[in-house]
Formats: sequence, C-alpha cells, structure tokens
Amino acid sequence: MADFGTLCLLIALTTCGWAILASCNGWRVQSGTLVLSAERAIHVTWALVTLGVISLEYCIHANQFDLEYVASYSNRTLPWLYKVAALWAGQSGSILFWLFILASYAALIVLLNRRRNRTLMPIVVTTLAAVELFFLLLVNFMTRPFVRLAVPPVDGGGMNPQLQNPFMAIHPPCLYLGYVGLTVPFAFAIAALVTGRLDNTWFRTTRRFTITSWFILGTGILLGGWWAYVELGWGGYWAWDPVENASLIPWLTCTAFLHSVMIEERKKMLRVWNLALVIMSFELAILGTFITRSGIISSVHSFTKSEVGPLFAGFLGISVLISVALLLHRLPLLRSEHRLDSFVSRESTFLFNNLLLVGAAFAVLWGTLFPILSEAVRGVKITVGPPFFNEMMIPITFGLVTLAGICPVIAWRRATPRKLLEKIQIPFWSLVGAAAALLIAGVRDVYALVSFSLCAFVIVTTVMEFVWGTRARQKVTGEAPGPAFWGLVDRNKRRYGGFVVHLAVMMILIGITGSSAFKQDATASLRRGESFSLGPYTMRFEAMTSREDPNFDFQGARLAVSRDGRAVGTLLPGQNFYKTRGQETSTEVAIRHSLREDLYLILISFDPQEGRVTLKAYLNPLINWIWIGGAMLILGSWLAMLPDLRDRRRDAEARLRDAA
Amino acid sequence: MSGRRFGLALLALASIGFLPPAHHAVFGADQTPQQQIESRLMCYCGCSDLTVRTCTCGVAASIRDEIAERLGRGETSEQVVAAFIARYGEKILSAPTKQGFNLVAWVAPIVAFFVAAVAIVFLVRRWGRPHGAGAGARRGGSATGGPPPATLTEEERILLGRIEREIREGH
Repeated sequence: MADFGTLCLLIALTTCGWAILASCNGWRVQSGTLVLSAERAIHVTWALVTLGVISLEYCIHANQFDLEYVASYSNRTLPWLYKVAALWAGQSGSILFWLFILASYAALIVLLNRRRNRTLMPIVVTTLAAVELFFLLLVNFMTRPFVRLAVPPVDGGGMNPQLQNPFMAIHPPCLYLGYVGLTVPFAFAIAALVTGRLDNTWFRTTRRFTITSWFILGTGILLGGWWAYVELGWGGYWAWDPVENASLIPWLTCTAFLHSVMIEERKKMLRVWNLALVIMSFELAILGTFITRSGIISSVHSFTKSEVGPLFAGFLGISVLISVALLLHRLPLLRSEHRLDSFVSRESTFLFNNLLLVGAAFAVLWGTLFPILSEAVRGVKITVGPPFFNEMMIPITFGLVTLAGICPVIAWRRATPRKLLEKIQIPFWSLVGAAAALLIAGVRDVYALVSFSLCAFVIVTTVMEFVWGTRARQKVTGEAPGPAFWGLVDRNKRRYGGFVVHLAVMMILIGITGSSAFKQDATASLRRGESFSLGPYTMRFEAMTSREDPNFDFQGARLAVSRDGRAVGTLLPGQNFYKTRGQETSTEVAIRHSLREDLYLILISFDPQEGRVTLKAYLNPLINWIWIGGAMLILGSWLAMLPDLRDRRRDAEARLRDAA
Repeated sequence: MSGRRFGLALLALASIGFLPPAHHAVFGADQTPQQQIESRLMCYCGCSDLTVRTCTCGVAASIRDEIAERLGRGETSEQVVAAFIARYGEKILSAPTKQGFNLVAWVAPIVAFFVAAVAIVFLVRRWGRPHGAGAGARRGGSATGGPPPATLTEEERILLGRIEREIREGH
C-alpha cells in the first residue's frame, strides 16, 4: 500500500503539471478543449492525492511500522480516532493533508464553476494547480510520507500524549481548511488581475468562500484555545506562541477584507486595497505554515537545517512577486473614482476598522518575527511573549469594539450629526450605566471597566438594530413582532448574520476580560483529609485513584469540592502515564464549568510514600462565555453565508445573461 | 459635529489606552512582587512557551522558589530579574526591554499605526473634496455648470433660473 501511495503522488505530480500547462495555454489560445482537459486533470489529481491519503491511513491502521512515519506517530494501542488523526501529527503527514484539502477545494471549485465564471476559470485553475504543484513537489521529494525504515520496530513510538485529545483531532483540520481555503479567493484575485476582468464578479464569487474560510479558521482558532485549556493544563487558552499567532494573522486580514469589500460593493472604491487584502491573507497563511514548519522562530539557525524552510521561503517570495507585479500592471484598470460624501459616514468608520485590523495583524506579525530580527541584528536571542502582545492588542481591541458600536448607527454616504446623536444616545447611556454599575460592584481594574462598558455599548447598539428593523418592518407589513423579526433577518441575512457575529465577538471579549482580569490561583500540598480554598471554593483531598487503559495508566486525586460551604461534587485531576514513549505523561485537568466561572484543578505531583499531592487551582471567571461566543460566531457566520433573496435574484439574472 | 472633529474623535477612540502601560491589566491576579516577577520571566523548561507564572512544570516551581528566596533576602524586583538575565540571557524575559534596539519592537507597530492613520485621514479628506465641475453640479455647489438636476422642485428651478440670469446680466 505504501508503494501504491508513493505511485499515486508521483502520478498526481504529472497530472497537476498538465493542469497548469493545459489551462494556461487553453486561456492563451482560447481553446475550450484544453481548458476542459485541465479541469479534468484537477479532478484526477484530487483522486490521486485522495488515494495517497487513504494509503497512508491504511498503513497507520494496519500498524505497518516499517514506515518511518507510522513508527514515529502511531502504535498498536492507539485508539482508532487518533490513528486517523496521526495523519496530521507529523510534518510529512500534515503537508500531505494540506495538499489533500487544497486538491479537494480545487476539485470543488472546478465542479461549482462548470458553467459560471468561464473567463476567469482557466487562470483560477492555473493558480490553484500551481500551489498544488508546490505541495506535490514537497511530498514527492522533500517530506515523503512513505519512507521505509531499514529495521522496522515491533511497535511504534505512539502519538504525543498532548495530541491525544478529541479537540486536537478536529482543531488542525479546521485550521487547515481555513488556511487552505484562502487559496480560493487568492486564485480568483489572480485570475481577475491576469484577465483584466476586474468588475464585481470576482469578489462576489469569492466572498462566500472567504467567509467560509474565515469562519472555519476562526472556529479552528477557538478549538485550539479550547484544546489548550482542557489539555495543556496551565489554566489558560492562549499563550501568544508563534503557532497561535500564525493562525490569527490571516484571520485578522480576512476580517478586514470582509468589511472593506462592502465599500467596494456599494461604491466601487478600494478595489486595489481589497485585492491586496485577499493576496495578503493567502501569503500570510503560507507564511504561517512556513513559521510553524521551518522552526525559524526558535532559532534562525534551525531554518537552514529545516528541510522545507528555504522552499517555503522561495515559494512565498515568488508568489508575492508575481502578485505585486500583476497588481502594479493592472493599476490603470483598477483606478476608480474615490469619493466620500462625508467624513461622518459608515465608509469612513470602515476605513478605520481596516486600519485597526491590519494594524493588529501587523503588530502580531511584527512581535512574532522580531526575535529573528533581533538575533540577526544583535546576535542576541530574545523572547516576545504575552506582555508585548497584550500591550499592543488591548488598545487596538478597544478601538475596534468602539467602532463596532458606532458603525451600525452611522448611515452610508452621509450621516447627519443630529440623527447620529439621536441613535447613539441609548447605547451611550448603557455604556455609562454599565461603567457605573461595575464601579458600584467594586470593579477597579481600569481595563476590565473599559472592556465591559464598551461591550455593553456594542451589545445595546446591535440589539437595537434588530429592534428598530423589526419595528420598521411591522409598520410596513403589519406583521406580529415574531414574523416581522424573522422576515427582517431572512431578507437580509448578511447584515443580520454580521450583527450576530458582532454579538458573538462581544461574548468572547467578555470571557477574555473576565478570565484574565479576575483570574485567581492557588497552589497547595495536601495529605488525605486536608483541604485548601480558592475564592468561594474549598477542595478536600479524599483519595488517590488509578485506572488502566490499554494505552496509558491514569493516576488521579479525588477531591470533594464545596462552594460557599455547600457541597457541589467531586473533581478528579490526574495524570496519564503512557506505556510507550518512555512513560511520557500528560496532565488531565478537572474542571467544574459554570456560566459564572470555572474551577480548574491540576495535579502537579504526588508522592505515594508520604501520601501527599501537590495541586494547583485556578478560578477563571466568565471563561465559558468565550465558548458560547464561539458557538454564536458559527451561527452568525452560517446566517451570513446563506443566500439572500437579493443574491438569489442576482444569480438568476446572471444565469439568464449567460444563457443569452 | 464637523467632519474633521468627528474624524479626530474616531482616532482618539481608536487609540484609547495606547498611553498607559497595559501589562498590569493582563493578570488582575498579579498583585504581589513575586507574581509580577513570575510574569516577566519565561520558563525555560522547553515543554511550552509559558511564563514562570503560568507554567506548571518542576523547572517553573524551582524558579518560583528562587524568586521567593531572593525577595526574602531583601533583593528588589529589578535585582531578581537582573540575576536571571545574567544567568540565562535576555531570552528569559517574557517581553523585550524598552531600551536600545529592543525599543524598535515596541515603537514600530505604533509608528506604523499612526502613519497609516494619518494617511487615511489625508485620503478621506481628498476623497471628500468635489471633483471638477461635474461633481460640483452633483453637490449643487455650482450654479453655472450643466442643467439643473431633475430632483429640484418647481420653486427651486425658478430660483435657480433667476440666479443664472442675474449672473449673465452681470448683477
């Protein structure tokens, strides 16, 4: 099966190469047959890459430890789900997985555009196939997943225990789907630039794909946070490490695009900027992969030792050069009349929104890459960690939240100050009221006060948008509030989906603020029957328990937990001792969730001779609002992605035009 | 509220909090000097990218013990941090210092942000200006160029005709 997989990937290289040649030439000589052949080659490439993936999965499941990859990342006792996830546990597997997602996207795009966007498709196919070719070259010649070992071991080394978590099984696919999805808008942008068809078609086609990638990437980031929270056992969910930052940066530029594209749609402005944002998001996704795969952050020197680092750098450089050259070449065509009717308009708030989002992306990128710069310039290794990113991101976030509160009440084109003041009154007084209430409640942390009050401001503004809209519709149609509300949302899903996303982000912000500003922790060393307290909770150590699993041995400390003197249950923080991988351990935290706070217990160590355990407890107020906000974010994004009545009409018109 | 004032207000709002130091806000729980030092140092255990404050490994525990011991001996926070830098290099700090070349790390994003902000204000002001006679007519700012827009009321049309006649006659 391994040889079969190798063969499939090798043939895929040729079919992909053919797709590039045929589609590019087909476009040049206007040959429909060649273009069709290229599109078929895309489907064949997808089938071959899929067979490659299936081959590797088969080898993992069949415990073929003569393969280096299987021996390194799997073992006989690894549960079924994690054997599937072993595909993306190591470098060569994850690059193959990346390629598989890209090939699937390419096949889907070709399928969906059989009759649409025919002028753009040849170049879209060329671009997608060119990116595919790069990854195919990697899996065929650099990071080969089917390398055999001279002496196969009896059993594999097994998967890193920290990766053996259900969330870890879905978090990387989500991130990859998001990352790779950004290739699709990029391909359409390149096609629009090459063909000179720079009308609204390219972004209308890609907008839905951009939202999809954006929301999958966002979900991936949140799942990563959840995984870190429940598995890494340090009481937090985000550590600003380079890998996390790499996923956040393209998400921020993508968010900027989703806002500024609205200005292009309405006023035909910012076309160069929007194209640049799409290109930037793709390049940043590649840069993110480069950062995580080359080891460049840990040291500049590991970059040269890394197999794929220089190749990624080369690919990145070439794709940036081509994109910029195309953009400059088409600049005369992209010139549009930039007109703003007033500074006090939604357009201008969107410009500042873009400034903040791209500024945030730059700050995170700068902080992530600065250690390399420092090492190169001064020869001194430094760390750019949480204090730097917090200091940069807190003000930017406040700025963005303020805009999210003002933006919906400002009219497009020109807002009259009187109307604006009238509309902003209730939200403004809610802000003041929230701040006063928090002060009375004893909140003295300035950042928490500002954050919560701004959240109140945005939530009220957004909810009022729903209320005003429903009332207006009631007046027009005479419907009852319920049907009027649904009618309103149904007719303009993008707008109200966007608002649901804003509300979701506020929930997330409330969770982040609560769990960072009011976090408490305590460490204790206890014998049986002894207890320790944190906030309103008291934990009494009752006994050690153990459990055996085919894969690991679990040792845990059973603690009786009470809140304000009332028993609320038992918690069992522990550690897994994995049977392979040299008795590697993983922390198994115990969490008591509630909307108000999480009690988070970690078993740091235990001494069987003395019967003593060392425990760390965290109290994370409001943290679950992050995950509730995450669920709402998914809901809002879905709503925004569903076709509107307006979209459907436009699509029908476009089809009619094409038919004519 | 004039456009310019509104723009300035937006900018001011957008840059809330750039001035005061924000690192205390991150961990409301960082109250004691011990905790503040822990947050300023990275754990060098190699198992994670966490500060001594958050890492739960044995290395972090021993660093915490050493911080407590040094503070107990009467050393100041700066002396404790300096001792760790002397032993492990600057890499142990969780954020770059705000001096020398490291200042670039802090200043560059802020400078870039404000330069971009000024550029946006400049662009918005340029885009807000009327473009030539056509634009002027669209805004109703010129009485001489082009026919009167159809949206005018009968009364306005008569008034506009009178003004144009007066201009022609040199009044």
